[in-house]
Amino acid sequence: MATSVLIVDDHPSFRASARMLLECEGFDVIGEAEDGMSGLEAVARLQPDVVLLDVQLPDINGFEVAARLTENGNSPAIVLTSSRDVEDLGFLAGRDGVRGFIPKSELSGSALEALL
Amino acid sequence: MTSLRRALWALAGAGVLLGLADLALILNSDLVDTPGAWAAGALVAGWGFIGVGLYAWGRRPDNRVGMLMAATGFAWLIAAAGFSDLPVVFTFGQLFGAFFFAVVMHMLLAFPSGRLQSLAERRLVAGAYLLTTAGVLPLWLFADPAQLDCADCPENVILVDANESLVSTLATILNTVGALLIGAVLVVLVQRWRRASPAQRRFLVPVYSAGVAVLLLLIVLVALQVGGLNPKALDVIWVISMVPFALVPYLFLATLVRARMIQSGAVGELMARLGETPQRGELRDALAHALSDPSLELVYWLPQDERFVDAKGHVVTLPGQGSGRAVTRVERDGGCVAAIVHDALVHDQQGGDVDAIGAAASLALENERLEAELRSKVEELRASRQRMLSIGLEERRRLERDLHDGAQQRLVSMALNMRLARGRLRDDPAAAEAMLDGAGDELESALEELRELARGIHPAVLTDRGLDTALETLARRAPVPVELGRVPSERLPEAVELAAYFVVAEALTNVAKYASASHAKVDVQRVNGRFVVQVADDGVGGADPAAGTGLRGLADRLAVIEGRLEIDSQPGNGTTITAKIPCE
Repeated sequence: MATSVLIVDDHPSFRASARMLLECEGFDVIGEAEDGMSGLEAVARLQPDVVLLDVQLPDINGFEVAARLTENGNSPAIVLTSSRDVEDLGFLAGRDGVRGFIPKSELSGSALEALL
Repeated sequence: MTSLRRALWALAGAGVLLGLADLALILNSDLVDTPGAWAAGALVAGWGFIGVGLYAWGRRPDNRVGMLMAATGFAWLIAAAGFSDLPVVFTFGQLFGAFFFAVVMHMLLAFPSGRLQSLAERRLVAGAYLLTTAGVLPLWLFADPAQLDCADCPENVILVDANESLVSTLATILNTVGALLIGAVLVVLVQRWRRASPAQRRFLVPVYSAGVAVLLLLIVLVALQVGGLNPKALDVIWVISMVPFALVPYLFLATLVRARMIQSGAVGELMARLGETPQRGELRDALAHALSDPSLELVYWLPQDERFVDAKGHVVTLPGQGSGRAVTRVERDGGCVAAIVHDALVHDQQGGDVDAIGAAASLALENERLEAELRSKVEELRASRQRMLSIGLEERRRLERDLHDGAQQRLVSMALNMRLARGRLRDDPAAAEAMLDGAGDELESALEELRELARGIHPAVLTDRGLDTALETLARRAPVPVELGRVPSERLPEAVELAAYFVVAEALTNVAKYASASHAKVDVQRVNGRFVVQVADDGVGGADPAAGTGLRGLADRLAVIEGRLEIDSQPGNGTTITAKIPCE
């Protein structure tokens, strides 16, 4: 069965590109959310295997979303993404239940697969 | 001689004649036991009030105290007609014998400003005038002097029907109402005394104390009259009450003379002190001392900013009408230098002196003004530096956000699309082509956004081609039609050009965003060594410079190069933004 993915990002152009890219490589993108709160709500509703989570969101940031998701155990795999440099944020992977970090421009199915 | 002076001299002459007539009348009267004493009393008080009143009236024609004082004197002299042996004169004297009470009350209430200060006071005075004229009339329609223990009195010529009991009832009513009015006046005077500052009390003491003594004695008199005391005893109290009454004008005169003497001494002392260079704060103390007004404040005029500041350079709002404070402007070489803010009552009494003292101190004030101007500039620079700093930080944050949300996102999605296209290149070339097209569009948009950002940081066209071309591009890019007036084509210092450019850019952005205008006009001129940039629109107006950071940022940008921003934006009348930048 294909790995199900939820994309949480406030830029529609990135969500569209990421959906296309991941679906091409066999992932099942089951939903999108444009900010932190609706991302939390979508996780509860859709129970995805993976959440592709932007760091900079209009309401609460990606780290906060990750912390809330992992609060009660049983959370999906969380992969952070950002258009910032991996050196700025990459070291934060592993905290708050975060599996890893992928810079937006390097996103691909194989890069995601490698972190799961 | 002015017409006022002529009128005052005529009144003085009339006062002298009236006094002499009184003298003849009292000395020949059968009704007076001690005519010499009564005549002296009449003249000392009557001529005193008239003389001092006319003097004060001539000195301060706009203050009614002098006039009221003179009126008191005349009313007092007229009251002596009641001593006449001639029936007509006697009756007239009885009818108007109490009128001067009303004038005295009016004068005390109007002292020292010359104005009644409230509706209640005006009603009190109107009541007193009514009581001593229309109130007395019915009594004398029924009063027969022969029935009132005055066998020597001439007859009452307006007697309709002698009725002793009616007269006694009416007299009791009149006396009671009179006593109540006097009581109310006393209450007002006491309240005013309690509110007065020490400087004000100096003026109030002599006249108030004499006035209050008269009023208290009158109340006692009225009470005893109602109680039906022996007329002889009443006469004694009446004579006693006349002493403070007669003193009122002389005490007032003494106050005036004393103030003058203190003043001339103080002005001399002030001049001597100003000879030395006063330290900060000393000038204020010297002026406060010269005017005997410890509450005195000095504010300095900044012609460039068109506002007053205190010695520390902080902006000051001048007190308005009715605040109890008066403002005397001090001029030097035709321009305002400073203003003396002082007790309004002090000004009422010695307005001319404040002017004279201000003029004497104008050089020292000019020096302090320069110092205050410097402090104000430093203060303003400090505040504007702080604002520039936070505006700089805010601009950096905005730039980071614009870059992140704009060009960076477009480049990210372009990179993803390129990768997708590469994956499809063999299997589905048509889809790959569409993706590459999309990537190309994203790239175009990213470039345009980067150009826009770069222009916001520094307009390259300004450096390359000068202000006229730079403004032309701004005008052409604006969504609203912009009429561009002639722009000086010579090159100016970069900071001036940049400020002018950003004024027009920000103003046109505001026109497009908020003004709902159909047309805007940009004008740039050199006026008196200043570079004047004006952007006017025909929109809705009502722009508030305090509301947004844009206009305030502009004002700060201008302040750095000593420029000023003026905004005229009446609701419904469009907005005109004018920047004045010095460029010598």
